[in-house]
Amino acid sequence: MIVVDRLVKEFQQKSGEMLRAVDELSFTANHDEVVCLLGVNGAGKTTTMRILSTVFMPTSGTATIEGYDVKTQSQKVRENLGFLSGDTGLYARLSVREILRYFGDLYDVPADVSDNRIKDMAELLDMNDFLDKKIEFLSTGMKQKVSIVRSVIHNPPTLILDEPTAGLDILTARNIVSFIRRCRDEGKCVLFSTHIMREAERLADRIVMIHKGKLLAEGPLEQLRDMASQRDLDDIFVFFVNQSNEEEVHEHEF
Amino acid sequence: MNFKKVLRIYRKELTEMLRDRRTLFTTIILPVILYPIIFIGLSSMMSRQETKMTEEGATVIVLDQIKDSNSKLLISELKQIPNFKIREQATFIDQLYKEKAIQAIVTITDSTTADGVLIYKAQIKYDKSNDRGDMTYGKLVSQLNAAEKKIVGLRLRTKGVPESYVNAVAVIEKNTASSQQMMGIFFGRFLPYMLIMMIISGGAYVATDLVAGEKERKTLETLLVSSAHRNELVLGKYLTIMTVSAINVLINLLSIYFSVAKLLNVAGSSGAQFSFPLGSFALILIALIPLITLFAAVLLSISTFSRNMKEARAYEGPMIIVAMMLSMISFLPGFDLSNGLALIPIINISLLFKEIMLQQMQINHFLITIGSTLFLDIIAIFITIRLFNTESVLFRTEEESVSLKSLRSHKKAFFSPYYGLLYYIAALAAFYYIGFSWQKHDLVNGLMQTQLILIFLPVFLILRLFKQNPREILRLKPAKAINYPLVILMAFPMFVIATSLAQLVNLVFPFPAEYLKSMNGLTNIGNLPISKVLLLIALLPAICEETMFRGFIMRFYENYGKWAAIIIAALLFGLFHLDMYRMIPVTVLGIWLGYLVMETDSIHMSMLAHFMNNGLAVMVSYLMEKKMFPALLMKGDNLSWWLLPPSLLLFIMFLYIFRQQNRKLVQNTDDDKEILCAE
Repeated sequence: MIVVDRLVKEFQQKSGEMLRAVDELSFTANHDEVVCLLGVNGAGKTTTMRILSTVFMPTSGTATIEGYDVKTQSQKVRENLGFLSGDTGLYARLSVREILRYFGDLYDVPADVSDNRIKDMAELLDMNDFLDKKIEFLSTGMKQKVSIVRSVIHNPPTLILDEPTAGLDILTARNIVSFIRRCRDEGKCVLFSTHIMREAERLADRIVMIHKGKLLAEGPLEQLRDMASQRDLDDIFVFFVNQSNEEEVHEHEF
Repeated sequence: MNFKKVLRIYRKELTEMLRDRRTLFTTIILPVILYPIIFIGLSSMMSRQETKMTEEGATVIVLDQIKDSNSKLLISELKQIPNFKIREQATFIDQLYKEKAIQAIVTITDSTTADGVLIYKAQIKYDKSNDRGDMTYGKLVSQLNAAEKKIVGLRLRTKGVPESYVNAVAVIEKNTASSQQMMGIFFGRFLPYMLIMMIISGGAYVATDLVAGEKERKTLETLLVSSAHRNELVLGKYLTIMTVSAINVLINLLSIYFSVAKLLNVAGSSGAQFSFPLGSFALILIALIPLITLFAAVLLSISTFSRNMKEARAYEGPMIIVAMMLSMISFLPGFDLSNGLALIPIINISLLFKEIMLQQMQINHFLITIGSTLFLDIIAIFITIRLFNTESVLFRTEEESVSLKSLRSHKKAFFSPYYGLLYYIAALAAFYYIGFSWQKHDLVNGLMQTQLILIFLPVFLILRLFKQNPREILRLKPAKAINYPLVILMAFPMFVIATSLAQLVNLVFPFPAEYLKSMNGLTNIGNLPISKVLLLIALLPAICEETMFRGFIMRFYENYGKWAAIIIAALLFGLFHLDMYRMIPVTVLGIWLGYLVMETDSIHMSMLAHFMNNGLAVMVSYLMEKKMFPALLMKGDNLSWWLLPPSLLLFIMFLYIFRQQNRKLVQNTDDDKEILCAE
């Protein structure tokens, strides 16, 4: 379970000015739920997720994973979180099985448990053909499957997947989407980000839209459709962006 | 910390390293083949070259201008040199010599000494830069010496004196250095340098790969989001670097050992005569362990700090150069390890190796060296762990370069640490290359020009160029009146403290005598009157150097906080004097000067303090010359140690008052503001 409360992240720029990448962002994601973090490139999705993964410290505000604070209980957070992003690469010179066992050990998973898990996952994601190949010889889709298994090797209750289907072919993407559904059905809390509206439509129980670091709108797709009086998610998103731009203009006027 | 996890990380890193062919090649294969090629290959090639040269021989022209029996004897002796062609007549001699068809021209003349003895002179014209010419000369000289003996023998016999008459003194060499020590001299010189280079080169490649490489390949974040602790990650990686550089050194040492042993056998000297110092090798390995750990930690922190492998290599470059220069100390003759030198990293190991190889190792040197290296090692590991916990370091992104135009409008962008350092280096280079040559030319004018043109003026030019207000930036404003007498009072005890510090440094690392002599020359330049010396040594530097360091350079580091700015500016100030012996006292002085400016927001304070300090130095050396106040001075023109405790006490007291006064100042201005608001 993820609770984000008035989260702020600022970066110092070379000119000395501060850039607010995440601005007073609040949302939650529960168990048995897939929540989609939706926004254009540079909206603050990855920064938010990096804070949740404990590699970034929030400037202010709080965030908890399974009740553990990312600031003060980072070790506990990492134990309870499966995290995947475009920046979590794999060691090219190790084989798939070696990498998965290695991370199993880092997460304190007993060897036989992690071996069983690797077996099950390989079956599920159709990975048996390349389980003993080195990463450097794998295709993008194969690597992404390995990354997915790596992120759940310790069977975490919460999963954060930053653009898990980016750059993948249709079949692999489908494979991964159905895996995410399965995780939800097992009772996990899944937060994933994307800028592909169709994927959000298909997969998300709830959608959290962010723009320029701020929360635009939040709710199940149907609710958002009603609010915007639009059917297509693309149009809904544009509707909310325009709305926030107008508000900004109004703020400046007064 | 979970050591099982550390070992797991270590094991994985090693597996990965072993699968990298480049690591395997540079750490194992290269050393195995390198030394046999260098030692055996080169030496056999050299000896073959020599034989070839001897076989080739030389063509020599002999011009005999005496033509008596003795000169003929000389020529016939020369003709006995194997493979030499001796020609007595030839045309175009100079032409042939130029074309290297002949290697030497011997001209035989004679002269008579005052006692009436006839001396034959053999002038040998040859080209020493040419190997063949040099060889020809050597053979000619040794043959001529043999001929001289024959002629002397003849002369003595005609006088009825036995030939042994000339042998009045016979020198019998008895070298007490054991063959191991003889080898030790040879190895003690070059081995430390080579070993230190090996440790770094072996470790650097792996270290660069382990963190900067992981950043580049985007695998670091995978590790960071796992539940492994940061300490465990650092330690696992650190052990990996250590292992690889240890293996690298071991293989290198073994390869050197076998190559040299083989070489000595080939060279024909019996093994017993040139036994190899194997015990010393074992001791060296033990002494190497702390150094390996130190380099591993430093390299790891560099790698962690760097954004990518290219940047890591760029940072390793200067470190390797410094290590190289420090380790070269073993090449210097007459430099021996002392307890003080045993505290300086790299130099200590380098000299310790020499001691070990010469079998003169002192156990205290051994322990201090290992202890101080381990101490630094621990500091470096802590820095690395700190870096690993610093998000801004782990996720440093490519910095945008700021255009000159925007620097003008952004004060904050202009006063960045990077530009501060750039300015400092430029000023240091100008000081070193231009200032020194001016001072060499004419000390008095040179000093004045250096201060005014190189130190003072550029600050104003730069501020002007970037449209900054000098008054505001340099804090060109007076302080509260009470501060002036306070600073003057503080300057006296501070002078004693700084001087005592210099003496303390001298105690640990004694100054060379020439250095002290040159320093004395500075404080009483020639025969100038004391007022002019004060102007030159005290007033001018006080104004110019303070403008540059406290006024300008300190500004670049204020983003880091008050104390960081004070200390960085003081360190740069200490380094600027390009004087290892005064570095520590000058830095301490710089901290005080920086503090004065920060507290009062006025450059006047540090200028006054700087003037007082240098002025006191001038006055003390002036008084010393006049032999006044002997009670304050010890033998060798040092300040007496008993001055230190009261000075410390006085200094703290004045500092306290100074602080009180200036804190009150801040409060007062706040009150004023409140009153203004109320009105």
